[in-house]
Amino acid sequence: MKTIPEAALNVMGRTAYIDDLPEPRNLLHSAVKLSGSARGRMTRIDAARALALHPSVRVITWKDIPGENQLGFTVADEPLLPEREWEYWGQPLVLCLAETKGLARRAAELVVVEGDALAPTFDPREAAAKGDFILPPRTQRSGDPAAAFARAAYVVSGRADSGGQEHVYLETQGAIAEPRDGDRIFIISGTQGPAVVQRAAARVLGLPMNKVEVETRRLGGGFGGKEDQATTWGCLAALGARLSGRPVKLCLDRKTDMRATGKRHPYSSDWKIAADAEGRLLAFEADYYQNSGCSCDLSAAIISRTLFHAVGAYRIPNVRVTGFLCRTNLPSFTAFRGFGAPQGIFVMEAALDALARRMGIDPVELRRRNLLEEGDITHYGMPMTRVRARESFDSLLEKTRWRELRAEVDSFNASHALEKRGLAVVPNCFGVSFTKLQMNQGGALVHVYQDGSVLVSTGAIEMGQQVSRKIARVTACTLGIPIERVAIERTTTLTVANTVPTAASTGSDINGMAALAACEEIRGRLVRRAAELVGGPAAGLSIEDGRVVRGREDTGLSWDDLVLKTYESRVDLSAHGFYATPGLFYDMEAEKGSPFAYHVYGAALVEVRLDVLRGLYAVERALIVHDVGRSLDRAVDLGQIEGAFAQGLGWALLEELAFGADGRLLSDTLSTYKLPDAHFLPARLEVEMMRETDNPRAVLNSKAIGEPPLVYGIAGYFALLDALRSARPDGPGMYDLPLTPEKALDYLTGDRPEYGREKAAKGDTPC
Amino acid sequence: MTKRMLRFVANDREVGTEAWEGSPALDFIRRELGLTGTKEGCREGDCGACAVILGERLENGAVRYRAAPSCLLALGELDGRHLVTIEGLASGAEDGLTPVMLAFLAENASQCGFCSPGFIVSLTAWLLEGERLDEAGALTAVEGNLCRCTGYGSIRRAASRLLAEFPGLPADPLARIDALVAARVVPASLAAFARGKLLADDARVRPAAGETSLVIGGGTDFYVRNTDPEPRDGFFLAGSDPALRRMTRSGDGGLEVGAAVTIRDFFACPELLSLVPGIGRFEASFASILVRNRATLGGNIANASPVADMTSMLIALGARLGIARPGGDGPSREIPLESFFLGYKKLDLGPGEIIRTILIPPPCRPFRFNFEKAAKRASLDIAAVNTAVLLELDGNRVVRGRLSAGGVAATPLLLPKSSAFLAGRAVSAGTARDLAALAASEVETIGDVRGSAGYRRRVLERLVMAHFTTLFRDRVADGIAEDLAVRVSSSEEDRR
Ligand SMILES: Cc1cc2nc3c(=O)[nH]c(=O)nc-3n(C[C@H](O)[C@H](O)[C@H](O)COP(=O)(O)OP(=O)(O)OC[C@H]3O[C@@H](n4cnc5c(N)ncnc54)[C@H](O)[C@@H]3O)c2cc1C
Ligand code: FES
Ligand code: FES
Repeated sequence: MKTIPEAALNVMGRTAYIDDLPEPRNLLHSAVKLSGSARGRMTRIDAARALALHPSVRVITWKDIPGENQLGFTVADEPLLPEREWEYWGQPLVLCLAETKGLARRAAELVVVEGDALAPTFDPREAAAKGDFILPPRTQRSGDPAAAFARAAYVVSGRADSGGQEHVYLETQGAIAEPRDGDRIFIISGTQGPAVVQRAAARVLGLPMNKVEVETRRLGGGFGGKEDQATTWGCLAALGARLSGRPVKLCLDRKTDMRATGKRHPYSSDWKIAADAEGRLLAFEADYYQNSGCSCDLSAAIISRTLFHAVGAYRIPNVRVTGFLCRTNLPSFTAFRGFGAPQGIFVMEAALDALARRMGIDPVELRRRNLLEEGDITHYGMPMTRVRARESFDSLLEKTRWRELRAEVDSFNASHALEKRGLAVVPNCFGVSFTKLQMNQGGALVHVYQDGSVLVSTGAIEMGQQVSRKIARVTACTLGIPIERVAIERTTTLTVANTVPTAASTGSDINGMAALAACEEIRGRLVRRAAELVGGPAAGLSIEDGRVVRGREDTGLSWDDLVLKTYESRVDLSAHGFYATPGLFYDMEAEKGSPFAYHVYGAALVEVRLDVLRGLYAVERALIVHDVGRSLDRAVDLGQIEGAFAQGLGWALLEELAFGADGRLLSDTLSTYKLPDAHFLPARLEVEMMRETDNPRAVLNSKAIGEPPLVYGIAGYFALLDALRSARPDGPGMYDLPLTPEKALDYLTGDRPEYGREKAAKGDTPC
Repeated sequence: MTKRMLRFVANDREVGTEAWEGSPALDFIRRELGLTGTKEGCREGDCGACAVILGERLENGAVRYRAAPSCLLALGELDGRHLVTIEGLASGAEDGLTPVMLAFLAENASQCGFCSPGFIVSLTAWLLEGERLDEAGALTAVEGNLCRCTGYGSIRRAASRLLAEFPGLPADPLARIDALVAARVVPASLAAFARGKLLADDARVRPAAGETSLVIGGGTDFYVRNTDPEPRDGFFLAGSDPALRRMTRSGDGGLEVGAAVTIRDFFACPELLSLVPGIGRFEASFASILVRNRATLGGNIANASPVADMTSMLIALGARLGIARPGGDGPSREIPLESFFLGYKKLDLGPGEIIRTILIPPPCRPFRFNFEKAAKRASLDIAAVNTAVLLELDGNRVVRGRLSAGGVAATPLLLPKSSAFLAGRAVSAGTARDLAALAASEVETIGDVRGSAGYRRRVLERLVMAHFTTLFRDRVADGIAEDLAVRVSSSEEDRR
């Protein structure tokens, strides 16, 4: 086993995250004052007591912003610091600078912001009823749903809700900004998109982008939470630095991070599904009320991914799905691994579950009957190729010996009254590419140094998905050298410009391809030089494992010599590579096109055990069959599958955002917001990567891995529902994710209060 | 402010500081010692990113190393002790990579890496002092560490590797340390400290507690509520008084537990396990091993959380509190634990008084004890509701019972009506059902982020029944199962 320097630094505790960096000499610390109610019109900001605290205290408000007070690029609804109204509980209102972190925090507490209360909205359906949308609703359709419903043997409809999800990247948000050389600003930002921070900071400071440099080292986790929402902190630090002329650090404590930043969007949806007498799906309709929070952020791109994934891995000829971006007075919900797809897929799986019950058939059988096939055309008009839905589903059923397992669990349940086991299988079909077309581009800068070592810079941010390791592999493969010769440089806006955020699972696809392009360019130059050195035509020469070879024969020329000789002949050993995902198009008017480069397939089985008396449960087992194309790195892919599944399972069964009736986040600590720990994950978690097949649409035939496996967590929901139904066969459908112990017990006792209401009314009793 | 020089060993060197002993050790470690491998992930004991290993020479001369969350650790706790951080571990290995670190690399168990130092510290502590060197023991060792990236699969595999690599480590602490130093799992400074070669002249006795303005047990509640406490005089670390860390058999055959005994030590005490057989299995329901290593019984009680687990158990066990001044001088008094709580976070504790001992009386006749807890996550989660029961039995009949409940009122409760109801009842499904209904009617629940008022009442009812299915499965399980089935359908009818 070769050690990877990066990971080695991690385990030795030597990786420096933002708060670990040596602090520049005259550094100022900072803290934000958060709003203390959900909505209000600002009347007065009184900084007197804060300023009296210590001479180093400085209080910065929107009035101090030299440029444009606006972070929103899709919709201009996101001021850095609000000017007139605050729009959610926990919104940063004012920035305080001081000599120490403690002083800055106390100063922030002392600032008084007064205002008149305005009536807030928290429920997306209520916002929809008022027509309060961030952007107009979007609808995708195919076939003739109305006619299909009219002639169907079975029609079922209902409602499904899914809750938000806190990212809990272990490293909280943060940034350090430093004034440099007169009017330049240098920002170290914990962001997935340095170019986004650069553009926003330039706008806020009233500077051209060439005066703002943003650097990102590795992140202690991102998961989408630092795609757009790291920008605020980078910009605030930059603003503080600009105004004070000193370096400014802004690192959030966990509670401020949880209160102030956005999370996965909660959805409330209505669905209707129809099948013929044989259980073939005929039609599906859904209205998704996305709780977008107080501003647009990435909500528009997220709703489009929901719509694209509305029917999951199934073939349905008649579809009408509509997404509403509902404005509420909650933090602006944002990207989170899966980006709206899991929310859409949950609705589809809920509909199928209800339909199977109505038809009295095994939901697994119903799912199996309706899987996508090669050549099917999706409701948004994309012809599906290299489809592996059935292959993955069947292989999962075979591995789990589905029939026997089902029978065994049924007989266990028949003989156990106080304990029940539950099973569910969920397929996966996940589209890869940014749903916003223009974002599917990336750049890379590759240097080969005279000693033969290679340095690669791309837009890809390392945040635990180990994209660096993949890009190093692509580079090594393309240049024909051992991976130890390759180093990946941190991302800065100086080396690669106009990068897109590392997101949408496309980090290694796009950046890997750009690196590949640069490497191919350099390799071409090297091979031409090699031909001069060893004689004969360049064609047929290649570099393998650090040697120049012709066919299988070693030419006697090593990589190191070749590099040096190429350098001596005054040939450029650097190249910039660029990649724009080909073949993507989408007609927004018609809502038709091919927005994805390819799809990722798979299926998962989850088994749970329910304690009928207490309403508590444990996930006992999971088996995942997943399509990795030709994996660039199986260890990395395994980590991504397991990690995404854990997050999906947490979202489905455990993680619960709780807001008070007044819009205050109640689950604002890790003691009140629980995420999976080591005990929560099943001891029997098996991951099976599917037979490797080519994927010509991504780098070296690989497939994106970051987001798709999160979908498997949904199987956890339906497995528990299955167990609950064994305990209470007459129980209703219940599609209200996450399925927490409280909801489970309510199901078992037949009590279903309006979740959230009762709890909120009493507020938070500290325990 | 009066200042006191704290002296301790940080990895391999002795350190002295006059910083306030009540400030969180994490800040000192990161800022003053510059050891930034110890991370801050939550500052409230929930993530384990800040874990360090703390070594101490005990009263009896033995040495003990345990992991602790440094965000909840008073700097004063380092005094006279050995602090080992991730940097210290790395320094013991030739190329900076210990076998635990190498296991992480081999299994690709470090992704974003932010949690990795904490996990490695926890697993190293497990090798150093874990009683169970098996898969379950490894899982327990990391139950206080959160990782958002890996889903824990690779971390489990790394632990399995370690098990294969270190079979049969010696049970004797000193021999274990030597073996692990030889294997470069830990640096040689541990063996030196254990033998008194580091901080050798540390014969200083801690100053006797003077006027106390602030008592800290383990700090696991205090630092959650005071993330940045202001320095003040009169700071008293309960654990600095050796008398408060002892557990002894009392004259009447019961147990006298010092208020600064940690949850970990409490459950490991052989006298307790013989007094209340089976109580050991409830250790796992309390927080995580990181927190159990620090949290004290006295702190659990004095914090007065309505859902304090130990308090709930102790109330059912009929525990009494010995209350006095910190040094034990002056008048002292004894009160039943349940009457210690006057209202939400209001205690029967005068100025200058502390809890010194917890007295667990011996039961008069054969008895059974059980504890139940409902929380969102099965491990490391604060209860929505907890309850404990003590049943003194004469054959199939309850002679006397005590039922406690937490999370169903402003304070932990002894349920008097339910407890009285138990006297003379037969052990049966009917008794369980009636008791459960009575208990649920006896409380006034309120809702919060951990559970609505309705849920709390319902789950209390179920947990009370669970006492019986757990203790007398054969006698009551069928009856209760039947009962549940009937109830569900009748409530369905109500709705129609
Ligand atoms: C991550 C995490 C998980 C937790 N999980 C649980 C759980 O599962 N169950 C549970 O019950 N609790 C849990 N807790 C709460 C806490 O750990 C316990 O209540 C613990 O027992 C408190 O003890 P301590 O010694 O650390 O208290 P400290 O923080 O030291 O003190 C708490 C309070 O009691 C006072 N005090 C301490 N000792 C005395 C004394 N001898 N006399 C008078 N006053 C005193 C202090 O002044 C302070 O006000 C958890 C806490 C954390 C951080
Ligand atoms: S920082 Fe999270 S446990 Fe200490
Ligand atoms: S590796 Fe990222 S949190 Fe564990």
